[in-house]
Amino acid sequence: MMSSSRSSLAFWLRLVLVAFIFAALEIYGRFYADPAFMSPPSGIFRAFVERILPEPKIIEALFLCVLQIAAAYGLSILFGTLTGLLVGATSFSRSAFFPIVLLLFAIPQVSLLPLVILFFGLGPAAKIAFGFSHGVFPIIMNVVAGMRDVKELHLRAARSMGASRSETIRHVILPHAVPSLFTGLRLGMTMTLLGVILAELYVSTGGVGYYTRLFAENYNPAPLFALIGCLAVIAILFNELVRLAEKRLTPGLRRSAALTNLVKE
Amino acid sequence: MSESAISIRNVSQRYGDAGAPDSVLALDDISLEVRKGEFVCLLGPSGCGKSTLLNVIGGLFKPTSGTCHVAGRLVDGSPHPDKIAFVFQESTLFPWYSIIENFRIALKFQGIPQSEWDDRAMQALKAVGMSSFASHYPDQLSVGMRQRVNMARGICVETDILLMDEPFAALDEQTRMVLGEDLSQLLAATGKTIVFVTHSLAEAVFLSDRIVVMSARPGKIKTIIDVNEAHPRSPDFMLEPRFSELRNECYALLRDEIRSTMAAQRDPQSAGA
Ligand SMILES: Nc1ncnc2c1ncn2[C@@H]1O[C@H](COP(=O)(O)OP(=O)(O)O)[C@@H](O)[C@H]1O
Ligand SMILES: [Mg+2]
Repeated sequence: MMSSSRSSLAFWLRLVLVAFIFAALEIYGRFYADPAFMSPPSGIFRAFVERILPEPKIIEALFLCVLQIAAAYGLSILFGTLTGLLVGATSFSRSAFFPIVLLLFAIPQVSLLPLVILFFGLGPAAKIAFGFSHGVFPIIMNVVAGMRDVKELHLRAARSMGASRSETIRHVILPHAVPSLFTGLRLGMTMTLLGVILAELYVSTGGVGYYTRLFAENYNPAPLFALIGCLAVIAILFNELVRLAEKRLTPGLRRSAALTNLVKE
Repeated sequence: MSESAISIRNVSQRYGDAGAPDSVLALDDISLEVRKGEFVCLLGPSGCGKSTLLNVIGGLFKPTSGTCHVAGRLVDGSPHPDKIAFVFQESTLFPWYSIIENFRIALKFQGIPQSEWDDRAMQALKAVGMSSFASHYPDQLSVGMRQRVNMARGICVETDILLMDEPFAALDEQTRMVLGEDLSQLLAATGKTIVFVTHSLAEAVFLSDRIVVMSARPGKIKTIIDVNEAHPRSPDFMLEPRFSELRNECYALLRDEIRSTMAAQRDPQSAGA
C-alpha cells in the first residue's frame, strides 16, 4: 500500500515538473527568445503538424532513418553476440582476443567518419556501417564480461553434479551472462543511434541530417526542433523495445515485484 | 568392524609450484577412514584446508600426492555424481532457474531419466517443507528457506555420500540450529555417509559422530573426537553437560591453532619459530 501511494505521488510530481518546464519554455519562447534560434513548444508542435507531417520527403527520411538504425542494430546484435560468445568461451580465447576488442573500442570512432563515408559512399550504407561500428562493441564487451563473471561456486556445483562442459555452458555460463548481455544491448542501442545520427548529420543528401541542416541554416528553429523531437521519439521507442525484450527474457525478472515482497520473511 | 565408505591415504595438496613464493601447502599427509553411515565433521580455523580436503574426496581435483577411495573406487580428480553429492552454501542455487528447475537441472546433470525429475524433486521439497515454493525463484526466498531447498537438492540425487561445505555459514545462529536439527532428522532415516565442514563448534558437536579437528596451515589432522550419541538428536542434547564438555574440548584444541594463525598473519617471520 505504502509503496504504491508513494510511486503514484512520484508520478504526479514528475508530471508537474515536466508541465512546469514546458510552461516555462512556452513563456520564454513566446515573449523573450529570438525567434531565429528558439521556438515555444506550441510553435514546435504546429511546425510538426504543418511542416513535417505533410512533407512526404521528410517522412520518408525519418522512415529511412528508422530502417538504418534497425539494420545497424541487427548487425550489432548478431556480430556482437557471436563474437562475444567466441571470445568469452574460455579464459584462453579471452586472454588471446579480448585485448584486440578493447584496442578497437578505444579508438575515437568519430575521427574515422570521413573514411567510413569515403568507403561506403553518401547513402544509407555508411550510416549503417557507422551505427554498427558503434553498437557492436558494448555488446561484445558485456557478453564477454557476463561470461567471465560466472561464480566459481556455480561452476564447482555444476561439475560436482556431473555436468559436461557443454551442459555447463548452456545451463550455467550462458544464463549467467543474460543480464550482462542486456546491459550490452541497451548500451549498444544508444551507441547505434549515436553512430547513425552522427553519420546522418555529417553527410546526408536527403536524409534526416539534410533537413536538420537545412532548417538550422535557415534560422527555422520550429521545424528543426520538431524533427529532433521525432528522432527522440524514435530513440525512446527503440530503447523501450530492448527493455521489453529484457523483461521477457531475463529469468528471475519475469516475476512480479509484489510477489517478491510478500514471500520475504 | 564397519565397512569403510571413504578412505583417504596420505593425501597432500600443494597449490602452486613447490618453491614458488606464493605456493601453499594446504594439506599435509592426511589419512582418514570414514565408515559407512557415519557423520564426520571437519573442524578447523579458516584456511586450514577443509574445503580442499572435501574437494579431493568429491573428485573436484586430483591431490598433489596420496589417494582417495570412495566405496572402493579410486577418486582421481573427476567427480562421481552417482556416488557423491555436494551441498555448498545456499547461494549455490542457480538464480536464473526457479526452485523446481534447479532440481531438474541437478537431476539432469546427474543423468537421471527425465520421467523421475519432478517426482523426486517434489518428494525432496516435501521432506524439507518447501513444496509450495517449487515455482519461486531463489531470490524470492529468505536465506534460511534457500538453504533448506539447497539441502533438499543435495539429498534428492540419492547418493550414498553427501559432502557439505559450510552449508550454514551465511545463516544466523538460530536458523543454523534449526536447520541442523532438520538435517539430523532427515539423515537419520537415510543412512547416508556425510562429511560436513564447519567452523561452528556447537554445530560440529551437535551433528557429528566424529569430529576431525584440523590444525592451521599446513592442514593436518590434530585430533579426532568421538561423540557417542544416537541420531536423530534432539535439542535437549545441547543442554547436557556432555555437550558443553565436548564443545569446550574442541575450543581448547582450536584456540591454539587460531592463535598461531593470527600470529603468522601479524608477523610472517615468527610463523616458523
Ligand atoms: N585454488 C587455490 N589456489 C591457491 N591457493 C588456494 C586455492 N584454494 C585454496 N587455497 C589456499 O589453501 C588453503 C586452504 O584453503 P581451503 O581449503 O579453502 O581452507 P578452508 O576451507 O579450511 O577455509 C588456504 O590458505 C587457501 O588460501
Ligand atoms: Mg572453505
